[in-house]
Amino acid sequence: MLKRFILIRGIEGLMVLFFAAIPLMVDNSFMLGLLTLLAIYAILLIGLDVTVGYLGQVNLAQAAFLGLGAYTAGLLVNNFEFGMVSALAAATLVGLVMGGLLAFPALRLEGPQFALATLSFSALSATILNEWESLTQGALGLQIVRPPLFGMALDSKGFYWFCLLLLGLVWMAMKNLLFSQWGRAFEALRDSPIATDAMGIGTYRHKVAGFALGSALGGLAGGLYAFNFEYLQPHVFVYELMVILLLGVVLGGRKNLWGAFVGAILIVLLPNLLSNRMLFQIFSAIGFLLALGAGGLALYQKRTRPFQGIAPMIAMGLLVVGSFTVQNTEDWRKAIFALMLFSVVVGLPEGLMGFAARFLSKLFSIDPLPFASPSDLDQVLVKQEVDGSPLLQLQELKCYFGGVKAVDGVSLTVASGTIHGLIGPNGSGKSTLVNVVSGLYSPTGGSILFHGKPLVQGNLFDVARQGISRTFQNLQLFTELSALDNVMVAMKGWYRSPLPLVLMGLTGKNEKQAEADALALLEMVGLANQARTPSKDLPYGAQRFLEIARAVARRPTFLILDEPAAGLAHPDVTALLGIIRRINKQGITIILIEHHMDVVAGLCDTVTVLDGGKIIAEGKPDEVKRNPLVIEAYLGKGSESASPVTVCLATPSPVPA
Amino acid sequence: MDQAVIIQMVVSGALMGLVYALVAYGFQLTFATSKSINFGQGELVMVSAFFSLTLTDLGLPYYLMIPGGLLFGVIAGLFVERAGVRLALEQKSEGWILMTIIIGLFGFSAAENIWGRDDRPFPTPIPSEPIQLFGISITWLEVSVAVGVFMIMAIIELFKRKTLLGKAFEAVSADRDAAELMGISATRTIMLSYGLSGLVAALAGILISPITTVGPTMASVLVLKAFSVAVVAGLESGFGVVLVGLFLGSLESLTSYYVGSGWREAPGLVLLILSLAIRPTGIFGKAVIRKV
Repeated sequence: MLKRFILIRGIEGLMVLFFAAIPLMVDNSFMLGLLTLLAIYAILLIGLDVTVGYLGQVNLAQAAFLGLGAYTAGLLVNNFEFGMVSALAAATLVGLVMGGLLAFPALRLEGPQFALATLSFSALSATILNEWESLTQGALGLQIVRPPLFGMALDSKGFYWFCLLLLGLVWMAMKNLLFSQWGRAFEALRDSPIATDAMGIGTYRHKVAGFALGSALGGLAGGLYAFNFEYLQPHVFVYELMVILLLGVVLGGRKNLWGAFVGAILIVLLPNLLSNRMLFQIFSAIGFLLALGAGGLALYQKRTRPFQGIAPMIAMGLLVVGSFTVQNTEDWRKAIFALMLFSVVVGLPEGLMGFAARFLSKLFSIDPLPFASPSDLDQVLVKQEVDGSPLLQLQELKCYFGGVKAVDGVSLTVASGTIHGLIGPNGSGKSTLVNVVSGLYSPTGGSILFHGKPLVQGNLFDVARQGISRTFQNLQLFTELSALDNVMVAMKGWYRSPLPLVLMGLTGKNEKQAEADALALLEMVGLANQARTPSKDLPYGAQRFLEIARAVARRPTFLILDEPAAGLAHPDVTALLGIIRRINKQGITIILIEHHMDVVAGLCDTVTVLDGGKIIAEGKPDEVKRNPLVIEAYLGKGSESASPVTVCLATPSPVPA
Repeated sequence: MDQAVIIQMVVSGALMGLVYALVAYGFQLTFATSKSINFGQGELVMVSAFFSLTLTDLGLPYYLMIPGGLLFGVIAGLFVERAGVRLALEQKSEGWILMTIIIGLFGFSAAENIWGRDDRPFPTPIPSEPIQLFGISITWLEVSVAVGVFMIMAIIELFKRKTLLGKAFEAVSADRDAAELMGISATRTIMLSYGLSGLVAALAGILISPITTVGPTMASVLVLKAFSVAVVAGLESGFGVVLVGLFLGSLESLTSYYVGSGWREAPGLVLLILSLAIRPTGIFGKAVIRKV
């Protein structure tokens, strides 16, 4: 505990002291300029890392936000005599609002379209800064005088300390944010947007919030940038700067505050590196040797694809050749950035800090914080009153895809407190049916009543908020998150985590409570001792159980289990029966899609059989098994002569009845 | 405002719009097979144009230079696929966005240093004197752009529909996994699409250079508009890009006339953001059903 505190907080504190003390020890205005720029770029890159690292999107607009923030602050000071703090606040606000406005349309998109939208936004804001000459003075440039801070004029030393202070504040706030429910939600939506919505976390709102926040930091950095240089020109904030910023984040290490800081150091030093030939030669030679050594080793140990080992060697080799043959390295600046960025993206995707963190964690093993003791399961899942009244009613529900009638007029009622089985041959419409109920698809016709009232349709998130939770036939775990975090992130909404309190780090008590509750759920599914394992490293059966624990963490009144036993080994199936019974005991109504007839028979109060999108039978499991229509649906005509239905219904699994 | 001027503006803008459509068509080719596009396509257009110019400077006649330039485009396209796209596709990540940007940046810097930063004229035997057609003046150069664009698109579409290799292309576009199970190599088909995309980009460079001159920045604006066209039309419809290209070309020609030439980039960018907001799949695109 103490070691942890010293190593993490202590290093941060030492770094702050060290950087704050430099101007006292060395009186060098050039160096002071670099340090100030370092603090500014660090803020900028921390902002960029939210989108690039945590949201996992290629964001090409951060340079534009820097520019917008800079011009906002500069113009407000020039035209309205704003002070330092109010101008910076306005610059941050502009970043936040513009970021939010851009995010609203852009973040419904995935991948290339998002990158394109940010690229267009950058080009558009460059056009505006250039062409709106009456306001920005266009290409001529804008002169700014650094405003006073609370009436105090700041010299360059004072301004540097001010920037450093802001960096420290941003650092702490982001740290609080990223290790909170918000940070988990950011990572969750990167891994599985569908599950993020289905767990009631809200993909869209978190994306918008994350992007707006990152852009706000861009705006803040812009304001500082304006007051640092006291002169602005639109052509600075363009494509090339954007690539350099990406280089900083990627080379420093994504999803890592220290990575952003290291990246900022690199960006600040780059121009100086390029102007000194000797230094550049040494630097590129080191890079080449690193690529050769690390790549060669990885290739030898067969840890990597040939391309990932060889391509960085070629790129760094080109850099070395260039450093000796090219006349003016400054002219080749962009190519040099490109080669470096290429090598890092291909050969060292985790970045310098990701790489260093692996080493450091071996050197100084820091014990993780001990867990809170698990809560009592009965308190986590408070027993709900059930009275057997209709909870979910489907009336003539239809869902067509073009000419395919996947669900064709299904009416069925699920009584509260029961386990309702849904079976049928492959392609009979079971999954489509629950996808309509849970809001993934909009129904073509018919209605859904929940608690007797119409249920929202066609929106996973809204349905989840009504108390309906689900698992997925094809697993949709948040692969990078640990088992515990997978469960905790689904508890969003149960523990208030308002953004201002989170940023100030005042939600620790709720976090502990959520952790204890999540542990209780992991215990229920038998995964308590693997709480820290990233969910992608869990065995297949454990992943299925984790999905159930995550779905239950929503504390739903209604739970949809889509083939939970698919692919499970026999002991796991037995465990599954116990888990489902336990959940049902707390009064949670369950709809269960399953092929294993013994699971269905052992659990369900009622079974509905679908075929071709229509209901062909409904009743107690035993009745349904003997229904000739059901036998025909599974085996075809002519086999109604008392065939062993258990075998035919338990499709591809070796489970004995 | 004189109506003749407006019509003139619309027509010459629309002809430029065809070049946007051609570059956008290059995006569609690779998007169809691999769901990826080359963010450095503008640089590919530019480098191919410079290479063609060098061929001309070496004394190659115009009609021999064209195949040379196109071949260069194909090779460059294949290089982008190998160096920037394949790894990311294997890892099922979106790393190709960043990678193709990087390769484009390298191409830009190389061109700047090899061929210089200045804009240079691109010689062509096609006369540039305006001819009068229904009271509108058009140059043969502009006509050659239109002819070139429609010809290459027709050839590629015919190739996709009529040849076995082309059908493999369509099969991978429709369902990559199913195509692989039928023994079609998706990797090779994706290579083919990047080669074709490079060819289309090189042709765009050769067609437009006599009009705009050749310089490192000649395509940085062009490619933004091509992005707009591709997104607004949707990344699936070849017919759509032509329509949207024509529309966008004339729109911005009118904008630069009425608002100011510095603003001619704006309509395309606004259109792109609006289109993403309202209809992310594009006007002619189809929505995809999410499966879980």
